[in-house]
Amino acid sequence: MRLTNENTAVVMDSTADFPDAQERFPNLRVVPLYVSFGAETFRDYVELDPHTFYARLRSASATPTTSQPTPQDFLATYEELAGYERIYSLHISSRLSGTCGSASLAAQELGGDAVRLLDTESVSVGISMLALGIRRLLERGTSDAEIEALAASHRQRSGLLFTVDTLEFLARGGRIGRARALAGSLLHVKPILTIADGEVVPLTRVRGRGREKALQEFRRRFEAATTAADGLHVGIAHAEADDAVAQLRALVLDARPQTEIELVTSLGAVVGTHAGPGTIGFFWFQD
Amino acid sequence: MGSPMPVTELARARELARGSLATLEANRRRIDDLNVYPVPDGDTGTNLTLTARAIVESLEASTAADRAAVAKELTRAALMGARGNSGVIFSQILRGAGEVLGEPGAIDATRIRRAFRGASDAAYRAVRRPVEGTMLSVIRELAEEAENPRHAALSPLELFRALVGRGEIALARTPEQLAVLREAGVVDAGGAGLLEIVRGISAALAGERPPDAPAEAAHEAGIDAIHQELSPFRYCTVFVVEGDELDAEALEEQLERLGDSLLVVGDSSALKIHVHTDEPGAALALATALGTIEGVEIANMHTQTEQRSERLLEARAPDLGLILETGVVAIVPGAGNRRLFESYGATRVIEGGQTMNPSTEDILGAIEATPATEVLVLPNNSNVILSAEQAAKLATKPVRVIPSRSVQAGLAAIVRYLPSLSAAENEAAMAEALAQVATGEVTIASRDVELDGVAVRKGSYLGLADGEAVASSPDFDEVAFAVVERLLGNGREVLTILTGADEPELARILDRLEQSHPQVELDVQPGGQPHYPLLLAAE
Repeated sequence: MRLTNENTAVVMDSTADFPDAQERFPNLRVVPLYVSFGAETFRDYVELDPHTFYARLRSASATPTTSQPTPQDFLATYEELAGYERIYSLHISSRLSGTCGSASLAAQELGGDAVRLLDTESVSVGISMLALGIRRLLERGTSDAEIEALAASHRQRSGLLFTVDTLEFLARGGRIGRARALAGSLLHVKPILTIADGEVVPLTRVRGRGREKALQEFRRRFEAATTAADGLHVGIAHAEADDAVAQLRALVLDARPQTEIELVTSLGAVVGTHAGPGTIGFFWFQD
Repeated sequence: MGSPMPVTELARARELARGSLATLEANRRRIDDLNVYPVPDGDTGTNLTLTARAIVESLEASTAADRAAVAKELTRAALMGARGNSGVIFSQILRGAGEVLGEPGAIDATRIRRAFRGASDAAYRAVRRPVEGTMLSVIRELAEEAENPRHAALSPLELFRALVGRGEIALARTPEQLAVLREAGVVDAGGAGLLEIVRGISAALAGERPPDAPAEAAHEAGIDAIHQELSPFRYCTVFVVEGDELDAEALEEQLERLGDSLLVVGDSSALKIHVHTDEPGAALALATALGTIEGVEIANMHTQTEQRSERLLEARAPDLGLILETGVVAIVPGAGNRRLFESYGATRVIEGGQTMNPSTEDILGAIEATPATEVLVLPNNSNVILSAEQAAKLATKPVRVIPSRSVQAGLAAIVRYLPSLSAAENEAAMAEALAQVATGEVTIASRDVELDGVAVRKGSYLGLADGEAVASSPDFDEVAFAVVERLLGNGREVLTILTGADEPELARILDRLEQSHPQVELDVQPGGQPHYPLLLAAE
């Protein structure tokens, strides 16, 4: 079957941090996860935008919690997309969230083989950049095999670097992964983290509360991992770190002028709950 | 080879002391994190370890010929080396035990029973208001267990095994006895330390290697332990006063007005004082009126508590049983610096530096005790690099020495350390950090000299940047600032300042820095190193 943007839809969960996906592309959908402050529960982005979320986080007495979409949420979206012959459903690493499991149950419930599930083993722009990559393939016409191959190379020929202001949010939400080894990091240090095999992994630590050293480290690693060839795509995501976004963008373009910066987005309430304000990171993929 | 040497009393005492020290070392951090009573200053494990270390060191240096002399030295070493509340109480436990053990005649179950009773009684005497659910109730229960008639015929080893069992029960009961422990969801830190000491002696008696820290730390401090209230007083103040016919009670009454957690122990010729107060100066003044003071240690408990909270928050479940890919042994002077290195993950820290270089054996021991496939050593002093390299050659596991020449350079290196990476990867990252850091010191000149064109007068401050003299003057601020100015060239953004044991006043320098270098990030930490009022690093 020849797949195009006309007969193939791409579903993401809201941890892709791509809220305007459907506005921009008619065959894209986002299924929201949930974030709760005490008894109050909100659908990520739909009922709680990032800015409101971080404002609320600052004044909240208890940490918010998050939960995955129900299978029914996915089923409703898949059914709404019944006009498409193929649905690619792209999700946050199954080691970080049970979202993929919900989507899988929905796909079974739906029956047939229209839905193809992809565990991106990533999060945020790591998911949405794959969606954009798939769209590019669909644009010129593609096949399941090509999309599977793209997803595989996305896991291999990509990189993700991020830093957080504190490991507290990752630790509280139980998403700290192997960064637990950074135990006891004090105020004047920033961890440089990635996601590998679907979980948070520390790469190094740099001195300073400010982001200068972290950005220098980003650059060093970005340059080492990419080439001057074309086809280099970057997505940037951050949590209330607008000033650092401009710096990171400039740094990326200075290091690799050919880079196409495809997405710059705010981390939504769900990812923000686990990363915390001040987080900044980027994802790259070299075709 | 001939027949084995007869085991002398001294050698036996050394073995037992080392056994206790080893178990305390292995559990020190865990015990620190348990510490909520009397104040959550998070250093009970450290204090007990340092106290035990002082005893071991004294015994190592001792030439005592008979048991009475050994017991006497042990008692004195414990008193002089005691750190913190828990260390002081422990010194009294040893004193009570030492009085019994120093008597001539065989050491059997009966004698050990009397020693524990003596220890328990001495501990209760030392504390003005004994509280159940602490080290005190643990030592009392141990004494009671030793008095169990069924134990009368046991060998010392069998008796100690029974005592370990009872100690575990006594420790587990401490939260029932003391509300603050129950609320924090922890057992008593001092009691936990005491149990480790008994366990260490038991292991040494059995000729076993000291037990490792528990893999599943049963008494890991919970998140609730973070929220214990701070002590109302800021400074943990410890010192010894020596004189003639010292009146412990009179001094105790005077000191009681200055703070809490008061302990005054010793005899009429030497008293050890521990008090939490906002006026350490006033406490010292009271003592200087009576005799000469020494061994003064003043620690800011609020800093200790904050560091502990951070440690608990960010390290809820340290993988104690895990074998690391790469471990780090660091040689560091000063308690604050030690804590910094530990907070960055140093697996073993050896106290040492400028005038107290650790031996090759010390370093080798730390390397071997590090639960890691490969070990990196941060000597942090040019005079230690050689012994570190010697130790690396003798070690049974692969060791790489990172040539850090100062504490502050070592700190820049250990920031890059990740236990999950290979030694080679860590070494590369640390080497990079060492290449980028600029280091400086402010010290006090020990003689008149002309250094790099700077005229240096004995007793005045001397500032060095990357090993080169940059300024010397009796004006501390002037020297410190000259060093800072030199270090902050080349777009360096983070300035680390480790303050020495004398806690120099930095307000003016920091103000001036904020004016002249507003973009520079300052990290000022109480390092506690001797000889150097300031150690500085710019990155």
